[in-house]
Amino acid sequence: MVKGRYFFAVGLMVILGVVLAVTVFPSEEKRVKKRVRLLSEWVSKSPGENSFTMLQKIKDIGTLFLDPCELKAPHESLSGNYTRQEISAYTGTARSHFLQLEFKLYDVRITFPEEEMAKVTFTARLIGKTTSAEQVDEIRELECHLKKMDRKWFFSQVEVVEVLKK
Amino acid sequence: MFLIRISLVAVSAFLFFSYICTPFTIQGTSMEPTYPNGGINFCWRLRYLLSEPKRHDVVAVRFAGSRVMLLKRVVAREGEQVEFRDGRLFVDDMEVVESYVRFPCDWNLPSRRVEKDCVYVVGDNRSMPIENHYFGQTSKARVMGGPLW
Repeated sequence: MVKGRYFFAVGLMVILGVVLAVTVFPSEEKRVKKRVRLLSEWVSKSPGENSFTMLQKIKDIGTLFLDPCELKAPHESLSGNYTRQEISAYTGTARSHFLQLEFKLYDVRITFPEEEMAKVTFTARLIGKTTSAEQVDEIRELECHLKKMDRKWFFSQVEVVEVLKK
Repeated sequence: MFLIRISLVAVSAFLFFSYICTPFTIQGTSMEPTYPNGGINFCWRLRYLLSEPKRHDVVAVRFAGSRVMLLKRVVAREGEQVEFRDGRLFVDDMEVVESYVRFPCDWNLPSRRVEKDCVYVVGDNRSMPIENHYFGQTSKARVMGGPLW
């Protein structure tokens, strides 16, 4: 009976240890996924967003990107290298046109082609309502490259994949 | 025994509806009136297992994965010249009669050749300005199948 309890306690401690290790030291894939989720969270805008939250989010968005970061979205008139400030300013301007904005991610796939490099592909859906009460629902496939610097992952390249070419 | 049967049915249903016959809801008006906004359908993913998409076929085009897809109609295949003149579709300089297009259309698009291993897809609803409609050439590898009905 005592032996059984001993094994149970050891088993429980091992499980707790594994859970703790996974939580405290997340895998690189989870770290990358978290950065992508933060991008989605900070781009999104709730209907009654106050100025403080708005400014904080705009400032935070820039911190996700490498300085400079290459953007490849010719159809959105964005091509070339952009600094963090430029990305923040561009996002701020774009967000200001919306009363409500939701940046949803689907089919997120993360691979590590090289050490300290990650490639993320996903479908991004932008649903929102503009200040002129127009409904927006845009879907794009994005391919992002992230670089690891000082134990943090930063977007170094963001490309809009051309699914349909006119 | 009962539990094994239930598990087998559940696993089979999961595989069937995830990889063979995927349910989806239509969001948007791009394929109206053939497929109205809010409709429910299934993507039959074995449709092009042994054949190629043909002109007038309605196909599901995937993005990064299969959770979000575009429903469009194939209007031209690889090697063909596609063009719009005053809302009328021309393939290899021959006008194509499209009975599924019900709304007025005034599109003009210069002629272009569909590249190898690609198809040219357009929605049935062309009542909006051409720049507001998401259409064009896509790789055949992105065609996931077609709607069940």
